[in-house]
Amino acid sequence: MSDLFNKLEKIVSDKYISNDIYVRHAYSRNVDIVLQGVPDIVIRPKDAQEISEILKVANEENITVIPRGAGICEFGGSKPIGDNGIVLDMKRMDNILNLDEENLIVTVEAGISWGKLNEYLCHFGLYTGSMGPGSGMSASIGGGISHHSVGGGGCAKYGACTNQLTSLEVVLPTGEIIETGSQANKYSKFPFNRFGNGPDLAGLFCGDNGIYGVKTKISLQVFPKPEYAEYKTFQLPRREREVSAKILNEIRHRGIDVYDAMYIMDLLVRLTTQERLMPMWNQLKKKRGVIFYTIEANTEVELDEKVKLLDKIMLDNKTEYLGSEISDGNIAKWHYTEQGHWQFYHNLWGIFPSMQPLTAECFCPIKTYPKIMNDIDQWDMEHDEEMRKIFDVAGSRPIAGSGPIVLIDGNNVEITCGFTSFSSYVDGKIHEFIDNLNLSLWKSLLERVTKQGVQWYMMGEFMSRLMVDIGAYSEEFYTLMKSIKKTIDPNMILSRGKFNFWGDK
Amino acid sequence: MSNLKHLKEEWKAVFSCMGCGDCGYAIRPAVGRYLTCPVKEAKGEEGFEIYFSRGRMNILKSLLEGKIPLSKELAKWVYQCSECGNCTEVCHMTHNENIILPTCNWIDHVKVWDALRKDLIEAGFAPLDRHENLVDYMNDDQMKNPYGEEKVKKFEWTGEFPWIKDRGEFVFFSGCTMPLRQVDTLKNMMKILQVAGKDIAMSKDEWCCGSIALRIGDEKSVLDLLKHNVEEFRKMGTKTLFTACAGCYRTWKKDYPELLGEALPFEVKHITEILIDMLNDNEIPFKAEEGEKLKVTYHDPCHLGRHMDLYEIPREVIAQIPGVELVEMKRNRKNAWCCGAGGGVKSQFPDLAKDISKERIREAIESGADILTTSCPFCTGNMNDAYKEMGPEVQERIKLIDIIDLIASKI
Repeated sequence: MSDLFNKLEKIVSDKYISNDIYVRHAYSRNVDIVLQGVPDIVIRPKDAQEISEILKVANEENITVIPRGAGICEFGGSKPIGDNGIVLDMKRMDNILNLDEENLIVTVEAGISWGKLNEYLCHFGLYTGSMGPGSGMSASIGGGISHHSVGGGGCAKYGACTNQLTSLEVVLPTGEIIETGSQANKYSKFPFNRFGNGPDLAGLFCGDNGIYGVKTKISLQVFPKPEYAEYKTFQLPRREREVSAKILNEIRHRGIDVYDAMYIMDLLVRLTTQERLMPMWNQLKKKRGVIFYTIEANTEVELDEKVKLLDKIMLDNKTEYLGSEISDGNIAKWHYTEQGHWQFYHNLWGIFPSMQPLTAECFCPIKTYPKIMNDIDQWDMEHDEEMRKIFDVAGSRPIAGSGPIVLIDGNNVEITCGFTSFSSYVDGKIHEFIDNLNLSLWKSLLERVTKQGVQWYMMGEFMSRLMVDIGAYSEEFYTLMKSIKKTIDPNMILSRGKFNFWGDK
Repeated sequence: MSNLKHLKEEWKAVFSCMGCGDCGYAIRPAVGRYLTCPVKEAKGEEGFEIYFSRGRMNILKSLLEGKIPLSKELAKWVYQCSECGNCTEVCHMTHNENIILPTCNWIDHVKVWDALRKDLIEAGFAPLDRHENLVDYMNDDQMKNPYGEEKVKKFEWTGEFPWIKDRGEFVFFSGCTMPLRQVDTLKNMMKILQVAGKDIAMSKDEWCCGSIALRIGDEKSVLDLLKHNVEEFRKMGTKTLFTACAGCYRTWKKDYPELLGEALPFEVKHITEILIDMLNDNEIPFKAEEGEKLKVTYHDPCHLGRHMDLYEIPREVIAQIPGVELVEMKRNRKNAWCCGAGGGVKSQFPDLAKDISKERIREAIESGADILTTSCPFCTGNMNDAYKEMGPEVQERIKLIDIIDLIASKI
């Protein structure tokens, strides 16, 4: 180990590498309560060249390397699987390299956050359109591209953040550095288009969950932020799941380019008001779900026209307008004007002490989500006995359900589904059975949802392995994915264990 | 080997941390949030996650689960934190009273860090060397202050103010930093109070409030000081105790009642709360102002702002000073950047403390202010040390003075 450490130290210098036990534990978890993997070494490279050298050493020494952006994966994606490996902390690489105002393309280092980039762009009247994941206030651009992230605002209009990708610089697992798209042509002076010069190799790395390469430099298309916007929230009538799906479908079929549209179900409205977390909804007599839209326009007339169309859809479906202010319950206003889109999901964390969600995030067609949500309710009832075992220790019962339903590109939505559970550490005691139950329940629920035909995007350790474990991949797809992995990463150095390529169940 | 007694009491906070990382990376311009952790940012490219809250919470989870031990090595990491509480702000942040995050109910980071520090002390891994000296001085009968100065030196300045009484209802607690390191400001304060005709009493036997010991987790060392001070001021007939030090203010107003388990027998105020009343009653005879207004920006001391929710009164004071225009720094009030001195950082890691202050001074310059002011001698002292190192390029662009001196300059 010390030989490896010395080799790596020579690459980055002693300031940017650590094998201190406390530093290693600081990097041993992501956003969940059950998965932990303690790395042997944490390293903060400064550029692609250093990463290339690190990966070459890792190949020589046969040790896994796990890239980590802001470390916010909900499924253990940016820490080792098991206790080993080198965590590559990409947050040292957080610079804006170039803003091409003429061509509306920004080039950044992969460790920069969506928040930092958009703060920079706003001085030029620009934004990234899709604002990354729901954690975009902190989450890295590299992580977003590695997961096809949605949820941080703007994904109904602009789609997943990978839609904006123009060019990638990637360090392959064996250390070669490549650029994609227009930059495949060595005579190209600057990145301007993702497609062409052969296949879309940038696409290989989009949503790869960090298995095919380490993203180091990312070029994104950026957009002028429209001057006008409106944001309205409505309470849904009975049969809110079906009605909300009908509304989202109608928005798409009328071709209205909403910036965001989101359905927040009755359970969340009820729970958050009951726990006094959403004073803005206290006045709602019926604690039913709500739906909101945000819409942008370049002129007032254009905005009025769009708002009329959207309001008609909402009111024709018997929703009730809540009012223009946040205090009226208009969460859409907070979401858009106060950048609440980067913090909305925090409302579900720690409602009771140590209560945290065990979830996964997936895409599905609009029309299928009511059925999926109903099935999650059914799953919850079927597992009541196990949930109650956790209740007996934690004092509160875990709850299965879905986070808000977010309209994304196409006729699709994002569903965050899972259940909120509790840490096994309660008041000085560790109840190991809770960890085991959490894992088995998490697997059971995600297997059930997978079999509804959904598409997972942020998969990390947990979901990527589960897809393989339950035989959900078509054999041809998995074989191709595996053979690509073998070709470009013959020693399985990068993110070893994800997608279970070695069959080490 | 510690049994982690104090940390175990904070388990709800530790395990309610989801690990979102906003305490390290959050930027949300719409609500004035531009990063969070002054230590991590001062470390720059060396800013491993152990330097900010999420990484530390991960370590605490592992400690509580018995996977790693307390140690002296851990203490060296732990004390590189100014306990500014900015991580708590971002953790609870919605910036809208209509939307409340559940973490508000469980996570108070400073309380967690204090618990860890108490466990480190009890296990014998802390205090660190320089902290140990401060506590020794503080408890030395010849000193009773953390600066290692003789007791009498703290009261030498009172010779210029013979009208200060030994007993009374309106009593000043001088603390240690101002009388021993910024005595001119203290004298200015007394002149303002004198000119307004205030009847002031003071004890010549006040001891250090113990703030430094509390912040490093050495609660036991504070108990004698606390008992002595409370009794001393009770005997004097105190109805209002006031102080010009943000650290003393927090200690008296928050920590003492918590440690005693009961309310103090008198109220505690910060000097800015006294000054605002005086300004509202036109008790301060300002000279007539002519010419262009001076732009002044205010640095929120953590012990006054985030720890005690006192944000507006100092601003109201500044706004009432003739010839002055208050301008805000990009990060202010709950989002304010720490000066870097607190939590024992100034004494144990002075260069780190200065690096943090330099960022704050640069931010003050960006605001367009001519003067950077604050209402805490500890912030003033640390920022001054940084300011001196920053050279003429900075010093020609902005002046740094305490809010008291700013008022005194206008009388």
